[in-house]
Amino acid sequence: MINDSTLISELEKRFNDNKRVIAELQEMTDQLKSVNKMLEESEALKSHFISNIRNEIINPFTSILNLSKQITTMSDIEKAKKSASLIYGEAFFLDFQLKNIFAAAELEAGETYPQIYSVNVLSTVQNLVDSYQGSLASKKLNVVINSSVENDFTFKSDPGKLTLIYSNLLSNAILFSKEGGTIEITLSFEYDSMAFAIKDNGIGIEQDKVRLIFDRFKRLDNTINTLSSGYGLGLSVAKAITDMLNGTISVESVVGQGATFTVLIPDVHTDTEATGTAIDENGMLF
Amino acid sequence: MDKYYLYPATLFASDTSYEVTTVLGSCVAVCLWDNVKQIGGINHYMLPLWNGQGLATPKYGNIATEKLLQRLLELGCSKSNITAKIFGGGEIIDTQISSFNIGERNIQIAKETLADLNIPIIGLSVGGKLGRKIIYYTESGKVLHKFIEKTLGNS
Repeated sequence: MINDSTLISELEKRFNDNKRVIAELQEMTDQLKSVNKMLEESEALKSHFISNIRNEIINPFTSILNLSKQITTMSDIEKAKKSASLIYGEAFFLDFQLKNIFAAAELEAGETYPQIYSVNVLSTVQNLVDSYQGSLASKKLNVVINSSVENDFTFKSDPGKLTLIYSNLLSNAILFSKEGGTIEITLSFEYDSMAFAIKDNGIGIEQDKVRLIFDRFKRLDNTINTLSSGYGLGLSVAKAITDMLNGTISVESVVGQGATFTVLIPDVHTDTEATGTAIDENGMLF
Repeated sequence: MDKYYLYPATLFASDTSYEVTTVLGSCVAVCLWDNVKQIGGINHYMLPLWNGQGLATPKYGNIATEKLLQRLLELGCSKSNITAKIFGGGEIIDTQISSFNIGERNIQIAKETLADLNIPIIGLSVGGKLGRKIIYYTESGKVLHKFIEKTLGNS
């Protein structure tokens, strides 16, 4: 026979079980919510990226098409020259962006590796700055190169990769500099490493956000993203290439007073592919 | 036979005969080989897991092994014919990577990733205190392995 007290205790037990299940369900729902939020963020980042790609690639192309069409019917040589230099500017920018996109794709595929030659850093940097004369002039920016290495100084590294790192940093410095400002580049060779530091007088980066800037597709302030170029791929490419060259990249910044990016790339000695000393001459076959 | 030197954070696969050399400290190399097509590939990664920041390069074990498999499948391999060999993951004193037990964690992620992909491991030489130089033959899937005193760079 079942008495009242057993019945009540059984009911209580079932109510408690029920409560426990509901609590577990709540917990699962919370977890699901947080995963969902992460997915949303990643989706937003993706569509953000696509809309930026549109700005970075389609817009320059449209300008190039329109400007070059205009030139075909122009009779005024001076006007045509002006249009041609605008076309050059757009094409230069497009070329730079595509280089970054392909570099990122190659790095992610693991298909790119250091190709080591003697690099004359000073002339590399001077050529780089010359190639940016157009955008420097349009923002009335001045570039100062302080070099403590000799004019004919060379070290061993991958010139193509080095140039891409430097051009990303220079392009960023131009982008974030205030009009009429000065960009300072300092070159030195110490402790077997080539140091390249670039200082701008731009908006600067908040301390707690410094960590994020080498993240791909990330710009610190999404609201200014549509107004100015760059979608944050450049710095993550620069970081990945620097890693590949066994170097380091760092940034110091005070908000409102600009930022200084420093890249250290070690000299590659000729025995880079050396294998250490084999202690087991016979080897094993697997 | 063509020769290829495999740098850290990269991978290599070919349907022609290659001799691929790489040097491992705390890094791990996973060699995959299709025994029917006789096509092989190898990666060389430095850290176990990609943390979602920066580029998803084959510097990270989970990315590197999945990408290598992808490459082999693109070359016409079938997953069911693919077997794996793992090398490296020594506890080399390395000032460039300060993380603790990096070699051990690199080995672990190779085993976990391969288990997830259902790829059997048919040979391995991992751990210990020495570096390794391996030469991988993409056509035969064989690996010539030597212990070395130390490695250069951060491999």
